[in-house]
This record gives sequence, structure tokens and C-alpha cells, in this order.
Amino acid sequence: MNAFKAHYFDGQSSRLHEVEVQRLDVHTIRVLGDGIDRSAVASSLRISPRLARITRTIEFSDGARILASDHPLLDQWFPQEDRLQRMVDRLERHAHAVAASIVLCLVVGIATFAWGVPWLADRIATRVPPGIEEKLGSEVLGQLDEYFGFAPSGVSQARQDELSARFDMLRADMPDARDYQLVFRDAASIGPNALAIPGGTIVVTDQLTGLFDNDREFDAVVAHELGHQQHRHALRQTLRSSFVLVIAALFTGDVSSASAIVVGVPAFLLQNHYSRGFEEEADAFAFATLAAHGTSPAWFAAAMRKLDDFHHDSDEDEGIAYLSSHPSSFARIAAAEAEGETFIAAHPELIRETPGYDACADEGICADEDEDSEVGDCDDADCTDAGESAGHDEAAAGADSGACDKSAVEGKKGF
Amino acid sequence: MEEQLDAVPPLPPALPEPPVPAGPGLPSVPSVFEHRFVFDGRADEYFRIWIVNLALTLLSLGIFSAWAKVRSERYFYGSTRLAGVPFEYTAKPLPILKGRIIAVSLFSAYIVAGQYSLFMQLGLALLIAVLTPWLIVRGAAFRARYSSWRGLNFRFIPDYGEAYIRFLVLGLPLILSLGLLYPWVKGKQKAFIVENHRFGGSWFKFLLSPGQFYPPYLIAWGVLSAWMFVFSMLMFGVIMASGSVRSGEGPAGLLVFGMTAFMYLGYFVVLAFLAAAIANLIYNHIDIGGRRLRSTLKGRQLLWIYASNTIAILGSAGLLIPWAKIRLAQYRADCLCLLAADDFNDMLAERATGVDATAAEVDGLFDIDIGL
Repeated sequence: MNAFKAHYFDGQSSRLHEVEVQRLDVHTIRVLGDGIDRSAVASSLRISPRLARITRTIEFSDGARILASDHPLLDQWFPQEDRLQRMVDRLERHAHAVAASIVLCLVVGIATFAWGVPWLADRIATRVPPGIEEKLGSEVLGQLDEYFGFAPSGVSQARQDELSARFDMLRADMPDARDYQLVFRDAASIGPNALAIPGGTIVVTDQLTGLFDNDREFDAVVAHELGHQQHRHALRQTLRSSFVLVIAALFTGDVSSASAIVVGVPAFLLQNHYSRGFEEEADAFAFATLAAHGTSPAWFAAAMRKLDDFHHDSDEDEGIAYLSSHPSSFARIAAAEAEGETFIAAHPELIRETPGYDACADEGICADEDEDSEVGDCDDADCTDAGESAGHDEAAAGADSGACDKSAVEGKKGF
Repeated sequence: MEEQLDAVPPLPPALPEPPVPAGPGLPSVPSVFEHRFVFDGRADEYFRIWIVNLALTLLSLGIFSAWAKVRSERYFYGSTRLAGVPFEYTAKPLPILKGRIIAVSLFSAYIVAGQYSLFMQLGLALLIAVLTPWLIVRGAAFRARYSSWRGLNFRFIPDYGEAYIRFLVLGLPLILSLGLLYPWVKGKQKAFIVENHRFGGSWFKFLLSPGQFYPPYLIAWGVLSAWMFVFSMLMFGVIMASGSVRSGEGPAGLLVFGMTAFMYLGYFVVLAFLAAAIANLIYNHIDIGGRRLRSTLKGRQLLWIYASNTIAILGSAGLLIPWAKIRLAQYRADCLCLLAADDFNDMLAERATGVDATAAEVDGLFDIDIGL
């Protein structure tokens, strides 16, 4: 075959000419039909690169053009000069190349979100001037006050000073200690909670201070928030989320028009993923800080339990479906307890200052018949009255046995 | 008209479709034919193009993206036919690469400047603002110049003075009116884009006054405001949920997330209807040398496509993006037709008609396409 049917346009008018394109010899092409009869040197014609089934265009130097369905003949008659496009076309038609492309894109995509975004966000976070971070922080606090009904604290000044003194002790050795400040707020809307706000401010709700009956639990929570501040988690989290938004918008922007929602869901999921890492980091920081101040990290576990219990109860009251088992919470409590055991192993003299320490069960100093059946080992011990119950650390002084602390801690895990 | 499709981006606003102007608005020529836009792109075919080009873009650290864009555009243009003849996208990758390098440099300069001096960053922001109308004109001119059908090119007349008035100066009354003039300004801008287009020697006319953009926007605003009012307070819960001791685990986090999602849902719905209404409004008032377009996009249908596209893209880690693009293009083409009394054989190129032939060669100087 050395001819094919095509459409011819002269480039001056929109008139469509039904023509036949013939190859007279290797060098000469002739277009014939519908009032058209022109010949041209094949090498003076330019053919559009091959692309799927798309109509090919063969352009004359004067702007006239032939439009023809794709056909193997075309690439013999009019060699494609663009070698790059020719190669890409071959790849697009090659199943293995397509498969390899899928793998490559997925791997790069996952790596970008898993490592690229956090890395970039963290790099930028270190360069954000402290002034901007502080402004951001006061902005956030303002919004909390305005939209969440955060009210001035109802905690007495004396108590506030007492807790602030503990806070000052915890932060004393930290590099950016002077930037950190503790703020009290009455926030019924969110209940017991503590927030680390960009710029170094830590907000503690009255509901939180009221929830704990031991100041060491308060220390544990504050140490955790200090961990967030030390690692600038609030700012880094904000930056990460915005990067995810930008990247996702780039890829989905023109497909769904409402990129906000396309982007919102993965951004939220990733945010949760990222923040879990941050929580662990802050926890580890809290454990170290507590231990350095002679407080067992097990107090963090105690504080977490109380928070969990509180939220559990309030959920059921309000009838909100709630993920009743949140493994990450259990994992964190377990980690805190493990740290607590390590701590006690290193400082056996502090055994009495651990949460749930029961002088009766642990040291055998019981009053009368003991109701603590969990700790069977000590049931029949010769007991004297210690008058202390779980949750209070100010246990009566006495000889340190340590024999039963392990089972006491484990008993706690049933919560 | 593929380029027109894109000139009207899936933009914000509009609600119910205004009734398509029937016969009366059309030229009173005896027999007007309805020429449908036919789109025959296939998702499987486009997927291969898309994934291979994306992979090459990644491997080349973004440089190949210009080639990828050309191949992708060519596929969509070439798959769209009117009166049996496909559209052509004839741009070369290098100018696009140039445009992208400039855009990325500007953006990076803006980011980097922020690290060192706020003053410098403000200066750059101002520069970008001042450049915007120019970029809009350049982008439209580039796109038009490399779009062709039946051997004739589209063209966009680069009227910079008018562009600065409509895309920059009008921003002042817009701000002073606290946004009330938004539909009017939007209308002026759309009119500018439409009226400066030519196809061969045929001029585009826009038969709509800017005031007629008000109804869809007002409806959208009304619905959206009511929706926003209810949920705006809960939105700030996101701030609260981050950085708290029990971040993301508590009921508060879930509740706030649910409410935020609910609010976006309303936004999404309004946006789809508004997009359909505005697109119809614009297309149905374009006159190209006595020929008229007719667009019959339905808000509900568009909403369904947007929603299902969104879910498909999320559920496939992005792999269904090509499928989503194809079906959106399919639907848009299905809803568009050209009403003309002739067989399109008598339109002439600009050179042939002697219309404003001076500007064509000037384009080459700043032959860049901005827009990622």
C-alpha cells in the first residue's frame, strides 16, 4: 500500500478537503483530491509525535496540514525526529514500563509522605523565628478563649502558685526554659486536658488540676507537654499538615474542583499518624524528666488512666460512639509502667513514692483483714495498719521490701 | 473549544442551572444545526500516558513535567471532536518548561525571602501581585495560540491595559465593597477573557452583562452562609485536638473531625452546583461569529462526578486520577454543543481576513505558559 485517505486543511480557511496521500517515491509525497493537488519533499513535512490513538498531523511549511488516523505507514513515510517523544510513546505502550511506573510512583508517593514531608517541615521549623512562633501561639490561645469558652481559671492563687513552682522546677534545666510558661484556664468544653501551644505556653485546664489527687500526676502531664515544647511539636505539626495539603492539592486540584475535601481526609489521617510519633517523643521526654527529678514515670501511667477513665465515663453519658479500646493509650501506659519499673530498680529507696503503692500489701504492714485479694502473696503476712490506699504516695514510712511491687503494678493493668 | 473549557476552571460558585436560552437568542438563520462535542478518550489509554509521564517526571526531578503536560493536553484535545474533526494542541514543551522554571523560582524566592527579611518577602508578594494580570494574559495567549481546529488557530488578544484594570484595579472596589462586588468583578473578568479570543477571523462576543453573574453567586452565598454559621465554631476544634495530652484519641477529636467534614460536605455540594451554573451561564452567552455554544451541565450530575471521583482517588492512592479526569472531560463534552447554520467550511484565518495581524508575532517574545 502506498496511499491513505486523510483530511487536508490549507491553513487559510477551515475548509475540509477529503484527500488521498500518496508516496510517489522515497522523497516525494503527493496530496490529491477535492480540488487539491500538491506535492512536497517528505523531509520538509513535520509529523506530530505518536500518542495513543490520537489523530496524527502532518504539517507543511506553509501551515497547511494533513490530519490522518494513526497508521504504521506514517512513521515510515515521515520519520519522527523527536527521539524523546518516540521513546516515551514506546514506554506508554509497554506493559512492563507501565507496571514499573506504577511501582515507582507509589514508592515515591509513600516515601514523600512518610519521610519527605516531615523532613522538610522540620527543616523549616528550625528556621521559623521565635517571634513568629510566639505570635502564632497567642493567636491560638485567643481562639481557644473566644471559641471554646476558655474562661479565667477558678483555681485559687495559692494553688496556682504551688503548681507553678512545680512547673518551674521541672523546666529549670531545659535549654529554652525562660520561654516556657504555665497558664490556667477553666474549660468545661474540653474537660481535663493540657495543651502545648506554639511559642512555649502550656495551658492547663481547671478540670485537669481537679482530676488529680497527687501532684506527681500533674508533674507527669506537664512534663509531657514540656516534651511537646522542647521538640516544637505544635509548629512542626502545623507545617507538616500544610505541606500535605499543598502536595495533595497539586495532584488532585483540577480533577475534583473541591480539592479541600479531597485533601482534607488524607491530611487528617496523616496528621494522626504524625502526632502519634510526636506523642511517643513527648512521652519519652516526660519519662526522662520525671526520672531526673526523682519521680517515677509510673505517675504518667496513673495520670493517663485517670484521663482515660474520665473520658470513658463522660462518653457514655453523652451517648457518643467512642472507640472503647484505643490501643495507643494502653501502649503508652504500658511504656510508662515499664519505665517506672526501671526507675524503681535504679532507685529502690523511692518505692514508697510510686502510684498505687500499698504499704500493707507491699510491706506487710497491714491493719486488720486485708481486702486486697489481688496481692495474695501478702495476705497472710503479719500486718500492721498503714492506713494508705492506692493512689496516695505519702505512704507510712517503713522497711522497704519491694517483694510485691511488681504484682501491685500488674494489678493496675486491669483497668 | 477545549481551551475554552479550561478557561472556565472548575471555579467556585453557582447553583441551579439557569434555563438555557432557547431559539430567540440565536441567529435567525433558517436551519441551525446542533454540532455536539464528541469526546472519545479512554481511561485505560490515558492511564498509561499519565503514569509513565509521571514516573519520568519524578525520575527527572520535575524537568519532564513540561513534556508530560504536552502529551496529556494533546490526548484530551485530540480526543475531542467537533463536526468530525479533532482539536489539536500544538505547544512545544520547552516554553512550558521555561514558564515553570520561572514560576518555581518566584515561589522559592518568596519562601526563602521569608527566612531572612519580611520586607523582602512583602516586596516579592507585591511583585507577584503586579505580575498576575500579565501572567493571565500570557497564559491565555499561549493556550489559545497553540490550540487549533480545522487548521485554524485560536488566538487571544493581549490587551494588557484592560487586563490590569480588570484583574488588579478592580480589586480595590471589591475590597471597599467588602466583597459585594465579587460577582460583578468576576463577570468583568470572564467577559475580558471571552471577548479577547478569536478563532481564525471570527471574534468571540460575550452577550452577558456582569450584573447577570449575581443570581447564582447570591444563592450560593446564602446557602453557604447558613451552613457555615452552624458549623464554624466546631471547626476550631482541630486546633484544640492537636497538641493535647490525648491528641486525636478523645471523643472531642472525633466529634470535631466529624463536624468539620460535615461542613466541607456543604461546601462541596454548593461548589458543584455553582460550578455548573457559572459554566452554563458563560458558555450559553458566547457568540463566535454568529455561532452559539450551548452548555447543559447539571449541578446534580457534576456533584456526583466530583464526589465519586474524590472517593475513587482517595481509595486508589491517586491511581484513579486518570479515570477521574476522563469522565469529567467526557461529561463536559457531552453537555456542550455548537449551534451553527453552516458546515464550518467558510471560516478564514486572520491573515486571510486582514484582521489585526500585527500582534501574532509579538507573542513569540514571551512565549511562556505559566501555571502548574
